[in-house]
Amino acid sequence: MLALVLLAVLLHGLALPAENVDSTSEQLTMVVGWGEKLGAVFAGLLGAMSMTSEIRHGTIRPTFLVTPQRNRVLGAKVLVSMFFGGAFGLIATALAVGAGSAALATRAIESQLDAGAYALFLAGGTGAGALWAAIGISIGAVIRNQVPTLIGICAWLLFVEGLLVGDVAGVGDVGRFAPGAAAAAISGQDPDKLLAPAVGLVLLVLYAAAAALAGSLATARRDVV
Amino acid sequence: MVTASSLTKRYGALVAVDELTFSLRPGTVTGFLGPNGAGKTTTLRLLLGLAEPTAGEALVFGRRYHELDNPARRVGAVLESSDFHPGRSGRNHLRGLALAAEIPSSRVEEMLDLVELHSAADRRVKTYSLGMRQRLGLAAALLGDPELLVLDEPANGLDPAGVYWLRSFLRRFAEQGRTVLLASHMLAEIAQTVDQVVIISRGRRIASGRIDELTRGGKTLEDTYLELTTAREFS
Repeated sequence: MLALVLLAVLLHGLALPAENVDSTSEQLTMVVGWGEKLGAVFAGLLGAMSMTSEIRHGTIRPTFLVTPQRNRVLGAKVLVSMFFGGAFGLIATALAVGAGSAALATRAIESQLDAGAYALFLAGGTGAGALWAAIGISIGAVIRNQVPTLIGICAWLLFVEGLLVGDVAGVGDVGRFAPGAAAAAISGQDPDKLLAPAVGLVLLVLYAAAAALAGSLATARRDVV
Repeated sequence: MVTASSLTKRYGALVAVDELTFSLRPGTVTGFLGPNGAGKTTTLRLLLGLAEPTAGEALVFGRRYHELDNPARRVGAVLESSDFHPGRSGRNHLRGLALAAEIPSSRVEEMLDLVELHSAADRRVKTYSLGMRQRLGLAAALLGDPELLVLDEPANGLDPAGVYWLRSFLRRFAEQGRTVLLASHMLAEIAQTVDQVVIISRGRRIASGRIDELTRGGKTLEDTYLELTTAREFS
């Protein structure tokens, strides 16, 4: 994750034309924003792995034999993964801020981000990581098969959401309500297109809660094979 | 101790377990026999709360499995020989389970000694042989010092000394008033280990009784088993 954040932030910070990275919004979205996006992706994968690798390796059987209250198992996994997912988000955004500022500084482009913007970005990245980890667990609990779950999360966050937010499909500006865009909105990215940070946070919490409900129902009702 | 009454499990049109009724008394080892696909493993899963019955009920200690308080302290089970994360060590696997079941970690060391895995305890499970995995699974099942042991093909992959050890272990276990349910295809081994058998075919019970009753008149358990199950297959 760290290497990917470094690569993405440096590539965009160093290679984008200067007039595309000289405003607050552009610097936040096009350069350091990669820290938030990749942090959320890896947090989602972490959550998904927590559930699907138990199913893949069969440890879900002893786990449920020891704790037959399956929702307790799911709840514990959500709490632990949210903690580590939040840490993923924080580390990824912090690294992105460092690398992004350095990249812009070497090109003598002035950073437009003030302390408040940085603070919001780090806090938003942490929140996005924590909530995406919770979403990842629930997706894993519903899909169960590890590889499709991981590929699905990557494809959605890195590809499908980009198309939606960029409105390639011509469906209007619904893309900003998608869960990845809501996660990006929390850290103050792209305020013209995305929701306000607080609205993004509320929306992502709702997504996580809906996913948790689906994951909980799927886990409680299905037989363990 | 264990009761299945009219236990039924359907998967769509397939009836995996069909009105199965049996019960186990404390202090006995029961062999659970049947052809491949007869519904043995499904029955064990229903008993252990991993699957929900379509009809009927499966009770352990008079309750459904998930209603037991800290079930790991009352029931130990080995369903598959490979329910471990390959990258974790045997000791680490047991410690994780002990933590979840609120069992002191000193018990982990005792179980590693019991199944003679101490020297391999810090190796990754993926380097274990099938016999070692079976012994690790047994160690995990015994962590909570349970009164009931549910085992699916536990002798699979054990060397002759291991098979002998398992047989004497299960006998001692039952002599302490505890109970074993043992699903297996190894009839010669079963005949030496168990007090009674339950034989199922296509999800239904086709015979049950004390081992000495089923092997009366010089017949072996294999003779009786083949007679019952093949007669059923072609009828």
